[in-house]
Amino acid sequence: MAQLVQTMVNGISLGCVYALVALAFVIVYEATGVVNFATGQFVMVGAFLAVSTIVQADMAFSTGYFVTLLGMLMFGLLFNMLIYRPLRKQPVINIIIGTLFVSVILQNSALLIWGSGAVRPPSPLSGQEFIIAGVNFTAHSILVIGVTVLLMAGLYLFLYRSSLGGQMRAVAQDPEAARLMGISASRVFMLAWTIAALLTGVAGILLGPVWFADVNMGDPLALKAFAATIIGGFGSVPGAVLGGVFVGLAEALGISYISSAYKDALIFMLMILFLLFRPQGILGEKIRERA
Amino acid sequence: MKVPSECPEFVGKKGEETVSRYWPWEEIHLTRWFTISGVFAVTFLLLSACGSGGQGASEDEIVIGATVPMTGPLTLSGDQNRYALQLAQEDINANGGIDGKNLRIVFEDTQDSNSAAVNAFNKLYLDLEPPFMFLSSYSTQNVATSPEVAQAEIPVMYAGGSLAVTELDNPWMFRIRPNDALSAEAMAVFAVEDLNAEHPGILYIQNEFGQNAANVTKEVFKQKGVEIAGMESYGAEDKDMSAQIRSLRNQGADVLLGIVYPTDGALITKQIKDLNVDLPYVMSSGGFVPAALELVTPEELENTYGVLDTLLDTSRSEVADVSKRFEKRFDTALDPSYGAPYYDAMMIVAKGLEEVGTDDPEALRDYIANVQNYQGIAHVYTFDKNGEGVHAVTVVKAKPGTKELESVRTFLQPE
Repeated sequence: MAQLVQTMVNGISLGCVYALVALAFVIVYEATGVVNFATGQFVMVGAFLAVSTIVQADMAFSTGYFVTLLGMLMFGLLFNMLIYRPLRKQPVINIIIGTLFVSVILQNSALLIWGSGAVRPPSPLSGQEFIIAGVNFTAHSILVIGVTVLLMAGLYLFLYRSSLGGQMRAVAQDPEAARLMGISASRVFMLAWTIAALLTGVAGILLGPVWFADVNMGDPLALKAFAATIIGGFGSVPGAVLGGVFVGLAEALGISYISSAYKDALIFMLMILFLLFRPQGILGEKIRERA
Repeated sequence: MKVPSECPEFVGKKGEETVSRYWPWEEIHLTRWFTISGVFAVTFLLLSACGSGGQGASEDEIVIGATVPMTGPLTLSGDQNRYALQLAQEDINANGGIDGKNLRIVFEDTQDSNSAAVNAFNKLYLDLEPPFMFLSSYSTQNVATSPEVAQAEIPVMYAGGSLAVTELDNPWMFRIRPNDALSAEAMAVFAVEDLNAEHPGILYIQNEFGQNAANVTKEVFKQKGVEIAGMESYGAEDKDMSAQIRSLRNQGADVLLGIVYPTDGALITKQIKDLNVDLPYVMSSGGFVPAALELVTPEELENTYGVLDTLLDTSRSEVADVSKRFEKRFDTALDPSYGAPYYDAMMIVAKGLEEVGTDDPEALRDYIANVQNYQGIAHVYTFDKNGEGVHAVTVVKAKPGTKELESVRTFLQPE
């Protein structure tokens, strides 16, 4: 029994990482209708900014994390201004291709700036762990779960309980009608990209000490998070978290009880099944409902 | 604040002036051409940074080619290949060059793709017509390039470990590292004879290297009458292997064997300790190269062993000198598996070119094939009929509380 609980705890912790990245997919999609295929590279940039501040500049954790998030905020603003804004009147597919192009640029730029080797930034909670009823918890994994839950709750309140969140969803549903209602689409878009950059920055900060900062860390992470977004429901904040945990659990349980060789096949098979039989995901809106 | 009439944020008019609830930076209207120009400029800069520079050889130089990963996930080892060759080039030229001519090595990027490796080889061969080329340390790339090498009829040296390369029976190809089968066999023998493994568990990276090495290890255990507890795999880009580690422990493994690359090897070492799995752990060389050791703590290395190609003997002055200059020049330690053998190989080739000249690739091939007991920085090289130059591996562990490695046992390839 303890083994099963341990597997599930690890699966949930892993799933929360996917969920954090999935939230970044959702916030951009909610506002712009665009699937950002550079999301994984956003996480990589966040992780390396944390390396630059905490490891290379030897800043205290609090200062380093603050500067990292400030850097990600600037990164989000710049991305909106230099990439999204000039492309935003193009068909969505062009913007998506643009994000793919940016992902390659980001990865190669990171290679030139930070080099090819992985780096292990320290965690403020490194070495701290608890064993409860034979189940091992590291303090860092509890931090990951806690931060994910907090961010999900915050984003949910923002999107569904605040005026700005309402504007964001209105722009995504029908930009023309939203504009006629006096909503500044530009401001909404800028906000969405900035929040996505901040979310991925948090993901990068949390992931670095666990999985190491590595210029190639983005794509595999984004792929799982994308599956989580589809399974949870594109456009749903709780769905992204639920999808993330679902994927994390499927991965951990699949390895333990089926075969490690087929774990990715299992996850993507589940994703395809969702696309076939429940394309709106567990909690998402039906695609045809979007204007 | 004036707003263009077509601006989508139009709200209303205040007197003569159009007003809007919008933010100052929305005034910045970047033209599409500006953006496109910017994107092309960035792309050009990136491509320039990754390019191989001027190609053509002048009369007072000898030019050879090297195809190694310079971008993508294999860059870590590719950098070691490239840096070691660059240092060797500088040392050769500082000592008068080859036959009075300066040596120049032109690099081309193989990325992480077999087709890119083949294209890189063809490009350099057609551009330079070199007497010799270096290939990468990835077996699948070596296998893919083998037909081109045979067609070009020039000798090459490579560091991919798979026996699949030697099975091609290409007389132009020479390996400068021990093959993976020897490493895998050493892991299994060490686990049984030194760690008394009765039910070892094998964790391997899911690619050609990992699967072949895992199968060799499994076969050696079978020959020794040891039943394995289980075999688990992970993808080359996976980051969380804790489920596989727990699964092996739950299956009753008493020793863990990891067939790994550097970053995933370090992750597994860390995750074993995170999970409080207190089992002896034996890793393939990837987990103990300098880049991997930088990622783990001395505590995480306790009860962990690595089967390395070699342990650089810095008590030898020439080894200490090259290692020190390498680290100073490239700000990273010389890797005994992916760096030092390329340095040695370049020195062997330089001697060969000095002896047989640059116009006769077949003579250079024969020269390399006949190299016996060449004492390099990393190994003693003796090329056999299969083109294998290195025939020993070393089991190492970290000294307690440090990351300083010490040799535990050496395995020699059976005759």
